[in-house]
Amino acid sequence: MSRTRIVSMASISLVLFASVIARAHHSFSMFDHTQTRTLKGTVTRFQWTNPHAYIELDVTDANGAVQHFSIECTSINMLQRLGWRSTMIKAGDQVKAVVAPLLNGDPGGLLLELTLPDGRKLDPGVPAAGSYKRTPEVD
Amino acid sequence: MMGISTRVSHLVGVSAMLACAAALQIARPLLAQVPSTRSARAGQTAQLDIEGAWERYGMFFGPRGNAAPPPNVPPPAMPPPLKPQYRAEWQAAVQRAREADAKGQPLATGYTSCLPDGMPAMMAAMFPLEILVSKGRVTIIEEAFNQVRRIVMDQPQKPLDEVEPGFFGHSVGRWEGDTLVIDTIGIKDNVRYQNTPHSPQMRISERIKLVSPDILWDEITIEDPVTLERPWVVTYAYKRMPNYTLLEYVCEDNREFADEQGRQRIRIGPRKD
Repeated sequence: MSRTRIVSMASISLVLFASVIARAHHSFSMFDHTQTRTLKGTVTRFQWTNPHAYIELDVTDANGAVQHFSIECTSINMLQRLGWRSTMIKAGDQVKAVVAPLLNGDPGGLLLELTLPDGRKLDPGVPAAGSYKRTPEVD
Repeated sequence: MMGISTRVSHLVGVSAMLACAAALQIARPLLAQVPSTRSARAGQTAQLDIEGAWERYGMFFGPRGNAAPPPNVPPPAMPPPLKPQYRAEWQAAVQRAREADAKGQPLATGYTSCLPDGMPAMMAAMFPLEILVSKGRVTIIEEAFNQVRRIVMDQPQKPLDEVEPGFFGHSVGRWEGDTLVIDTIGIKDNVRYQNTPHSPQMRISERIKLVSPDILWDEITIEDPVTLERPWVVTYAYKRMPNYTLLEYVCEDNREFADEQGRQRIRIGPRKD
């Protein structure tokens, strides 16, 4: 009986501790996990840096107004291990980016998937990528 | 072949037993209980066998991951066995972080300022590790933040008051048969592992050994007479990366910043220079 109780207490501690480990390095809670946005636009810059790479993107809306977004990628180390290269994306490229938007409303988000002008899809290797609920793309 | 499969199944059994022991919160040096089948002479080979690149292994086993662990995965880490007065502080900090995350306004951390993990957090190996064995020295490099530990071999540890506290501390090591034993002191107060407070007297002991030809364990025992009720044992496993060369990592443009409320934000747009 008491043994069961000890094991149960240990399990609770483990769950608590595991959630601490999960956010030890980089909290992704500033991004919306409940919906995604699909941004189609023109790359103004692909910033190949650590701790994160960034895609700077101009998106033109139906009324012709241009809004600028900063899209955070994972680290360039992770990207390189997944086969990305700094030359894969350049200013002027038309790309499609599925992002988890910033919750504070700033025009930015976390890159979940990128489609290059030639149709290739790139995975940026976001940890726990499955935890972001995808919103179907609307055209 | 027979010998190898017997050894593997034995280790699987040992892993399962160790997992049970951990669930019962028995804080003892677990790796020391694994019977060594190698002779002291085999230590000469082990010194070379640990060289090379390694990646964290078995991370997603446990409460959040797969039910069935792969072979040679150490038991999941337990929370720090803090003394009551420090436990309250730790739990409050965990709670604050959880609430901030729930609101989508994560608190800034050392990572927000691009600070390296320091010890022992760097051994969690967010990115690959490289181990170098040279004359009188073992060097461990972690790819993220280009973190480097220098372990002086076969020298006595310095008195604490001769060590200026830092991120990686002062480490001395020695081979005990096929196990690399490391003693580390002198970690700065603001270098926190899992948000855990520690005193200048914190001592980190490590036992690093191969548990199979391509799986390495680091059993880390943290002792602190001020903050901990008993030794805190955490074991990490790593898998050999045979053809990997560590990449550079420079925190060149950190767009994350803490706003006036201490929340983590991201700068929109490239740097204005």
